[in-house]
Amino acid sequence: MRTAFITGIGGQDGSYLAELLLREGYRVVGTVNGSVRSRHPKIEHLRESITLADVSLVDRLALERALELYAPEEFYNLAAFHPASSQSQIDPVLISEMNGVAVVKILEAIRAVGTMTKLCQASTALMYGSPTTSPQDEETPFHPTNPYAIAKAFAHCNVAYYRDVHGVHASSCILFNHESPRRSEKFVTRKISMAVARIKACLQQELELDNLDARRDWGYAPDYVHAMWQMLQRNCGDDYVIATGKTHSVRDFCRIAFEHVGLDYERYVLQSVARYVPAEAVALTGNSRKAHETLGWRRTLEFEELVCDMVDADMALIMNQS
Amino acid sequence: MTAKIALITGINGQDGAYLAEFLLQKNYIVHGLRRRSSVINTQRLEHLCTDPHDPDCRLFLHHGDMTDASSLLRIIQKARPHEIYNLAAQSHVAVSFEEPEYTANSDALGTLRVLEAIRILGLENHTRFYQASTSELYGLVRETPQCEETPFYPRSPYAAAKLYAFWITVNYREAYGMFACNGILFNHESPVRGELFVTRKITRGLARIKFGLQERLYLGNLDSLRDWGHARDYVEAQWLMLQHSTPEDFVIATGEQHSVRDFVNAAARELGMHIRWVGHGAEEMGLDTAGRCIVAVDPQYFRPTEVQTLLGDASKARRKLGWMPNTSFEKLIKEMVREDVSRAQKGGVFGKSDEVRRDAMSLQH
Repeated sequence: MRTAFITGIGGQDGSYLAELLLREGYRVVGTVNGSVRSRHPKIEHLRESITLADVSLVDRLALERALELYAPEEFYNLAAFHPASSQSQIDPVLISEMNGVAVVKILEAIRAVGTMTKLCQASTALMYGSPTTSPQDEETPFHPTNPYAIAKAFAHCNVAYYRDVHGVHASSCILFNHESPRRSEKFVTRKISMAVARIKACLQQELELDNLDARRDWGYAPDYVHAMWQMLQRNCGDDYVIATGKTHSVRDFCRIAFEHVGLDYERYVLQSVARYVPAEAVALTGNSRKAHETLGWRRTLEFEELVCDMVDADMALIMNQS
Repeated sequence: MTAKIALITGINGQDGAYLAEFLLQKNYIVHGLRRRSSVINTQRLEHLCTDPHDPDCRLFLHHGDMTDASSLLRIIQKARPHEIYNLAAQSHVAVSFEEPEYTANSDALGTLRVLEAIRILGLENHTRFYQASTSELYGLVRETPQCEETPFYPRSPYAAAKLYAFWITVNYREAYGMFACNGILFNHESPVRGELFVTRKITRGLARIKFGLQERLYLGNLDSLRDWGHARDYVEAQWLMLQHSTPEDFVIATGEQHSVRDFVNAAARELGMHIRWVGHGAEEMGLDTAGRCIVAVDPQYFRPTEVQTLLGDASKARRKLGWMPNTSFEKLIKEMVREDVSRAQKGGVFGKSDEVRRDAMSLQH
């Protein structure tokens, strides 16, 4: 039986990836943010099938012990502090230690224990910052503009370096936005789908959003974790952009989401003037040609389906609560 | 007018020593951060007065470490500097292959810790920040020559950590309006360059060979092309950046390129030696007039990822800062050789056992 180790298994991506790997017959071990004994809602249904390991990613020796103990063939590093998903003000040093230096420790631990473990590092499209060309691919230069993205770009450089120099089977997936019913409510997509369900159930009157004209390349999270798994089935590591190649505005998302329950978004959605930020000069959208051609990666859900899926899930959630 | 106050991290390094001297001449009060070491590590500052009992002393050294946020906070709070020059780093590329975690912690996070300290202490509008960035960021170069717009392609843990520091400096400038600049400095050398760096290894090695203290000089890639300037000129550029009206990033370079082999030839010429090259690649040797092999290639000094060529375009610094390098390649080598000859002569007097031991300990260039 193959073993996979997933850091951040309690998050959106971690929980989908755990499900995928269990289906594929893996033994799945993971780390969570916080105590292993706490409730982790996204993986409660998997608690009997997976092992939670109490390993701090900033502890180099603990990482090495975990690699020796579980001897995973595949290591997915999804744990990270995200400015949108956590407390608004996390210490940037902590972000950098977790999102950046911890990856060097993982790579060094893999190198020390032996290069049998393949690594998949979750990189992010935020590394491009404000790009000058569109769409972005694996060759587009990075211009990260916040500590989260800067630390991720640092990790990305190190993954490439350990692959080229130390022969570690290490891959980075440069993920564009990927959503699902398990997305945290701090992200705009889930904020909208949740509001639609609440408004429909008369639990909320209106929805205030920062920037209706912001455009994003939104994909479906289970498709994206599938790409992660696919890249570790290759003979060698590489970098892959994972994206849909299409952008939609927050307004598009609202329109489809409200329409799905028979409402007109214009009657409920307010644009907060104070926090309005002008739209990007260059579209943030990824070119996944390499993933399509090399991995045979395919998306299973179109944008409209994703939006409706998220709204349906939140409708069910609200229904269950009441 | 009260004197300006500067804080230099890494003050006992090559650039720190030159910058301290430069700022003292400009009547600054200079505070320096240095790591504790079991051996004296302030030799480069010996010619500057550091005795706090001396009423004329304007240079103050503090123990601290880039990996220790509290020490940085304490020193910045105490000194309240108008200018911080962040020169401290694990600066050796080859060592970064051996110590990637420490390199990341000191070079990448260390820079963030200083920027955070400025912010936490509310000194954003008081303190100007200089970050010592490096041409190693260009790594596998995308265009030649390299300027401020050339994309980065780091090829070592050192370069990756320095790239983090570059971006975080830009981020604090943009997010908090801090006067924070990156100087992207190409190689800069001097007689006090660390002995493990290739230029100093060459001038020191050849001087010692000339005086019979050493038989042979072992080098890595002789074909590496570098843009070498003099550290004295480059610290002036660091200061100029912080005097400019707006915080910006600048490439500092000579715009002239030489190979490691050129450097060996020029240093040998300066010593009145002549080197004849035979063989290729790892077999290449430099023979003296008597046919003895005095320069050999040792593949252990090849980097796991070579940076083959670096050549800087400093026209922005010339245009906006009025900065130009003053020291030619030949003059730089002349100065380095002169110092190493004088040291080798002393080495001859004091015996060579110590020097030999240090050689055995020396790593790679």
